[in-house]
Formats: sequence, C-alpha cells, structure tokens
Amino acid sequence: MIQTFGHLVALFMILSISAFGGGKVVLPTLQEQAVNHYHWMTNQQFVDLFGISIIDGPSMMVVTLVGLKACMQYGYVIAILGALVATVAMFLPSSILVLIVGRFWDSWKTSPWHESIQRGMMPISTGLILAAAYIIARHSIHTIPTAIMGLVALCLMLFTKLNPVIMIVAAAGISWVFLR
Amino acid sequence: MSKNPDISAPPIQDEPPRVSLWELIFFFGLIGLTSFGGGLTAYIRRLAVTQKGWLTDEEFFSALAIVQILPGARVVGISVYIGNHLRGLVGATVALLSIMTPPFILVSCLGLLYFHYGENTDSKALLAGVTAVACGLMASMVFEAGQKSIRGLFDVMMILITFLLVRLAHLHVQYVILLLGPIAIWWHRPRPDKKDGAPEQKEAVS
Repeated sequence: MIQTFGHLVALFMILSISAFGGGKVVLPTLQEQAVNHYHWMTNQQFVDLFGISIIDGPSMMVVTLVGLKACMQYGYVIAILGALVATVAMFLPSSILVLIVGRFWDSWKTSPWHESIQRGMMPISTGLILAAAYIIARHSIHTIPTAIMGLVALCLMLFTKLNPVIMIVAAAGISWVFLR
Repeated sequence: MSKNPDISAPPIQDEPPRVSLWELIFFFGLIGLTSFGGGLTAYIRRLAVTQKGWLTDEEFFSALAIVQILPGARVVGISVYIGNHLRGLVGATVALLSIMTPPFILVSCLGLLYFHYGENTDSKALLAGVTAVACGLMASMVFEAGQKSIRGLFDVMMILITFLLVRLAHLHVQYVILLLGPIAIWWHRPRPDKKDGAPEQKEAVS
C-alpha cells in the first residue's frame, strides 16, 4: 500500500512538472505507466476513466481516477486516499512553480526568450496531444456508431461553442439507448 | 503583506484589493464546479478582472503569460496566481484547494460508480458514447494546438518527431521535453534582426 502511494507520488510529481501545454500532454506516458508498467488497469479501463474524468475539472482529472484504481485493491477508503495522493502529487508541484516563477517574473517579463520558449514548446505539446488522441482513439472507436459519435463531437468542438459536458451527457444517453 | 502599517499613505495602484478568504473559496469553488478544459481562462478573466476588479487586465495577462510557459493545467495555474496576488501564500493555497475540491469529489464518485457497475452492459453501452466523445474532444485539441503551433516546416517536424518518439520509441514525456525542448527553443531563439533586444543568456528549461 505504502509502495503504491510511493509509485503514485513519484510518477505524478514528474508528470506535473513535465506537463508543458496542459495536463493532457502527459497522457501517453501516464497510460504507458499505469497500464504497461504498474499494471494498475487495462487499456480499456484507462480510456473509460479518461472519458469519465473530462466531465469536470482541469484537464487531467484522470490522475485522480488512476490513483483511485491503483489503490482499489486495498478497499474503498484507501482508494479515495490514493486518489487524493495522486491529485496532490499532480497539481501541487506545478502550482508551486507558478508561485516561484511569479516572484521572479518582473525581472524576466521583458526577456525575448519568453516567446521563444512558448513557440518552441508548443509544437512539442501538439505532438504529445496527438499521441494522446491516438491512444484514446484506439480504445474508444471500435465500431461505426462510435466513429460517428467521435466525428460529430470533433465537428461540434471545432465549429460550435457547445459545452462539451452537454455532448458527453448526450452521447452517454444516445449510446445507452442504441448500443445496449 | 503590509510592510508599513503605521504610514497611512493612499493605496498604491498596484496594491490588490482586500478580499476575504471566503470569497476566494466561493469564487474558485464555483469555477472548479463548472470547469471544463478550454475557454475557462476567458471566463476567469471576465469574473476576476471585469466584474470583481481583483487584478488589472495587464496583471491578468502577465499571469497568463507565466502560466502558458510553465507546465500544468492553465486554469489551476491562473487560480494559484490570483490567490497569491490577493492573499499571498494562504490565498494561493485556498484557491488551489477550492478549485480542485469540487471536481475531485465529483470525479471520484463517478470513478467509484464505474468500478462498482463498470462491468454491466448498461454502463458499458453508456461509456462507449462517453469515450467516443472524449476521443472527439482530444482530436479537436490536436487541431487547436496544431493551429497555434505550426508556423513553419520546423514546427511540423517537431510535432512528428515528438509523436514518433512517444509512439514508437515509447519515450516518456519528461525525456521528450528534455531532449526536444532546448532544440526547439533554440530554434525559435530571439534574433537580433527580428527584435531590437539583444539575445540574453539561454534560459534553463526545467
């Protein structure tokens, strides 16, 4: 149990300070570690949990659910504790970084390197998000109806301002009615 | 915060307004409760800058600039920054806790439901739709991120190399960043001919 907590902390602290471009860039590594390395869950469970997690909160609330699942074998109470440990380990280091950099920011604000970092890191984030999308697609688009739903969601996101939570709830309803 | 309390000088413009911790809890708790990924920074700006006047537009965009080049979720970073700006370390802690607690509870409950009922056919059918939409959302993020990042062939190559390193070489994100980050930042380094500011020493990439 303590060992699992230790693994969660070590993993998420590293991912926390690696999440350039938002939490979703660490998704490929998280999947690799949670599924293939630590065997906390299957690929399908990972993608299910990711789908559940995007209903609320900042990107990468899936870490909460990975923590939950990793400690599930020890019972529900420990599982919640695991979720808490994972969440803190994921969101605390990057938050501390904001405070530290914020303190020195004024002397740094005018530096032209600022834009260099942003422009340099953005394509890397994009590549990581692409890899994340690939993983999700491989384990969520099994059939023609799911492919259609995915495409519709993509189009709605790109061309409308519809709230994604509404899409998720609607899709859950539609697939419950038709795919059962 | 107040260094010289006995001097009753008129408040300087930079001095943030006095905000109670309860107000911070309520403000960020509400954002945490209604938050999903993108678009939220604009929402926070409207509430914190325009409605409440907690910080100036300039301060907000300065915060955004910090958060954008740092790792982590942008909304969380902005919230921590605003909390710190208003009430120091306590404010930052309160902001972080308030924005994280509602989604933590909600998502944990859904997770417990999933592990309890995940194997029956009803929830399997339901989740098929949820994950399909999740996939669509991720794909839309690829488009958005691509649109923002591609300004030349180098950027396209960086995207592809990153993807291949992760997919084929199974390289972890931290190593991808340590490996490619300095190269990409150096490629986009400030050029004297483009901007009048002379290039400074190379910044460390954490």
